[in-house]
Amino acid sequence: MKNNYEIAQYAIEALKKAGADHAQCIVYKGKSDELNVDGGKFSLMRSTFDTSISMKAIKDSKKGVVAINQVDKAAIDKAAADCIAAAESSVADEAEQIAPFTEKAEYKTGIFKPDRDKLFDRIEEFLEQTAQEFPRVMLEQLTSSFKHSNELYMNSNGTAISHECGSYSFYTMFSAHEGEKTSSFNGYYCVTDNLEKPFMDLGVQRMLLEDCEKQLETVSPEEKFVGKVIYSPDCFCDLLNTAIRNFISTSVLIDGTSPWKDSLNTKVACETLNVRSVPIDERAVAAERFTNDGYPVENMDIIKDGVLKTFILSQYGANKTGFPRSLNSGRNLEVLPGDIPLEEMIKGIDKGLIVNRFSGGEPSINGDFSGVAKNSFIIENGKIGSAVSETMISGNIIDMLNNIVAISKEQVTDGTTFMPWVEFDGVTVSGK
Amino acid sequence: MIKDLLSPYKNFLSDHTELRAQVNASRAVALIGGNLVNNLRTEQSGVSARVYKNGVYGFASGTEYSEDSIKNIIKAAGENAIFLASRAGTGKSLPVISSGEKVMNGEIRDCEQKLYIDFAKEVDKYIEKKYPKLVSRKVIVRCDSMEKLLRVNDGYDSYSLVPRSYVIVIFTAEANDGTNVELYKVFGGYGFFADVFSTPDKLFAGVDELYENIIKKAEGVYAEAGYRDVVMHPNLAGILAHEAVGHTVEADMVLSGSVAAHNLNKQIASPLVTMIDFAHTQPNGSPVPLPVFVDDEGTPAEDAILIKDGVLTGYMNNRESAEHFGVKPQGNARAYAFSDEPLIRMRNTAILPGTSSIEDMIASIDDGYFLTETNNGQADTTGEFMFGVGMGYEIKKGKLGRAIRDTTISGVAFDMLKTVDMLSNDMVWTSSGMCGKKQPMPVGMGGPAIKCKITIGGR
Repeated sequence: MKNNYEIAQYAIEALKKAGADHAQCIVYKGKSDELNVDGGKFSLMRSTFDTSISMKAIKDSKKGVVAINQVDKAAIDKAAADCIAAAESSVADEAEQIAPFTEKAEYKTGIFKPDRDKLFDRIEEFLEQTAQEFPRVMLEQLTSSFKHSNELYMNSNGTAISHECGSYSFYTMFSAHEGEKTSSFNGYYCVTDNLEKPFMDLGVQRMLLEDCEKQLETVSPEEKFVGKVIYSPDCFCDLLNTAIRNFISTSVLIDGTSPWKDSLNTKVACETLNVRSVPIDERAVAAERFTNDGYPVENMDIIKDGVLKTFILSQYGANKTGFPRSLNSGRNLEVLPGDIPLEEMIKGIDKGLIVNRFSGGEPSINGDFSGVAKNSFIIENGKIGSAVSETMISGNIIDMLNNIVAISKEQVTDGTTFMPWVEFDGVTVSGK
Repeated sequence: MIKDLLSPYKNFLSDHTELRAQVNASRAVALIGGNLVNNLRTEQSGVSARVYKNGVYGFASGTEYSEDSIKNIIKAAGENAIFLASRAGTGKSLPVISSGEKVMNGEIRDCEQKLYIDFAKEVDKYIEKKYPKLVSRKVIVRCDSMEKLLRVNDGYDSYSLVPRSYVIVIFTAEANDGTNVELYKVFGGYGFFADVFSTPDKLFAGVDELYENIIKKAEGVYAEAGYRDVVMHPNLAGILAHEAVGHTVEADMVLSGSVAAHNLNKQIASPLVTMIDFAHTQPNGSPVPLPVFVDDEGTPAEDAILIKDGVLTGYMNNRESAEHFGVKPQGNARAYAFSDEPLIRMRNTAILPGTSSIEDMIASIDDGYFLTETNNGQADTTGEFMFGVGMGYEIKKGKLGRAIRDTTISGVAFDMLKTVDMLSNDMVWTSSGMCGKKQPMPVGMGGPAIKCKITIGGR
């Protein structure tokens, strides 16, 4: 069986034959070509051919899931039998269901014909530019790839949604060195559907390399203070993802541990904060077209004018909690820009910190966090000052979202998310 | 056991080539408040080839394991090597190593999903009945195994099978300020589920201990931020060895300029500290948590002594970096999935025990902390590291005080290790974690209780 439809139809039939009341599967086929640079030198070219199928069965309201990467009939038959055996051993739960029938849909996004030589040239150009513009920077690792995939969701209600997509990705990890002095490492990742721009000009790549060289000389604040910090777009995106996981995701709502469990349609953040998830947006590369439980995705507001508009719930989570299912998986986050340029934000701070990377322990479920401010700089009298090391910051994510002072006019994208710089008050900064 | 379709191709290989057939299997069950939210079995299998040519590698992998597919994969890997060598070849070559074969004993002992589910349900029932005041309870069963068949044209051929099985219990309780606190405990280790776990009631004492601890944490206080005297329980020593030192002495990190590059043969720690990345056997003859006999480049694995009596003595290498540094490769090149290339990875990294008792170590501190549980961690090129602390106690005048809430500790490895002035006479190994570095990788880590100075985050 070569065709995804043929494989999926066979799998649904096999699950039904084995005893499933309801069945669904997701078939994936992909090819990736990847170039690797280690320690500033080309090291590896890697091609992978991947296939997989994830099969889910519901029998007597009990669920089993099996995922394999062999798609011949014998492997699928065995997986179907294992899936039913797993379901039969499971716990009955009326909340289990599969998506209702929707019209057949076939999505195609991105590009399907890679230019391998151009990709190589762009990487070589990036290596040369880095060496010229940032001579003290060492590219510890660079991985760039082209990936072409075809994914199909099918279920026993007759729903079939497919998504063919192709994109380039670019990942760097780097640090600066001078004699025996070493900076902290930093990294950048982005996806794109074209090679029109040099990699150096994508997103905040150049800015991060500039900052990296400034990290060779650092200080640690001598006194502990509570003050204003600016989070970089990447850092703020991490903070939002933690908030989503700890406050509005399926598992914390099912077990009732979310501090926001009673907060739908109430104010959870400053009115200036607007968070959306926008997979259907021409700026989002290789974004999802259907959820894992078989619904075509739509854009959605998560926080609008500070008010929580949705939880991130699967159909199962929705059935379990009584709240509506979310319209997508919440991966393509966009925070709407504010009206103040970053430079003005910095000018308004007497004493604070601009945080470009956060390396911290897993935040508590109540939002408390502490960790090290990496690749960060002191702000003093409205100007960016020394780079810092051995500097910890701590606070509470819920409090921070309610203590937003400003959101920058600038918004940057890595092809997946769209983020501004955000200034908070009330964060504790402590040195060694 | 994976059928050997690879050997017939060995004689046709010219440049250094690794052929690897691999199966990664995992089983997962998760109960949240008695609801079975995860009930999953996965198998990922396939074959890969990696070819070294003119100082660069070509790699290819596919899911189909057949004679035709192996031929295609070898061809694709060779073409990738030729393409990259033509545009970026360096002319370097790999060191020659001895050849042979090692086969790990053991057989796959898979269980039906029912066994995992019933086990989890029994543990969950015990918790539900005994501790009704918990805000939430999670019982997770997680088993994985990695089976590899490796054929190389220069080095050691091998077969290996490494299974791990764990039960993770996570509690949430209401704290004294009305918010929630969370704490977890991991049971299990090396082996298939039935080898590691007998009956659910054997876990109950550990579950009771977890409950006692979360109640103390619920009544706990926030740590006072600053540079403090601490005793780290042996539960934390492994992550310290792994994050603070281990990553900085991986040779690829050294070649990229990690702080260890300038410190070989220098005193970087207190003379009490000796740290080894064990391959497969401890000094007392017992096995390490996750043994490696041959790595995925076909190098026989032996222990890598990283720090001896406080002096940095060596790095962890693959064949290429060993050639660069003029040392013998010791088997640290490991790949996670069939579709992954080998990277320099830790295996079982541990700080060796000392001679003190934990009681004496605590008694020697006037004002500080005893840190007993950890979660995640991260290292940096500068040697600055951090990891999360999920449980701990104040130490006041040599005695344990109130429990503390979640916090983070950080330091600069080679500064912090010089402050170590006591190590306990016992050690703890853990193996449930996954190290992240382009690919995930199961790793073992261990060590004794450590008394040192470190920066602790507060509120």
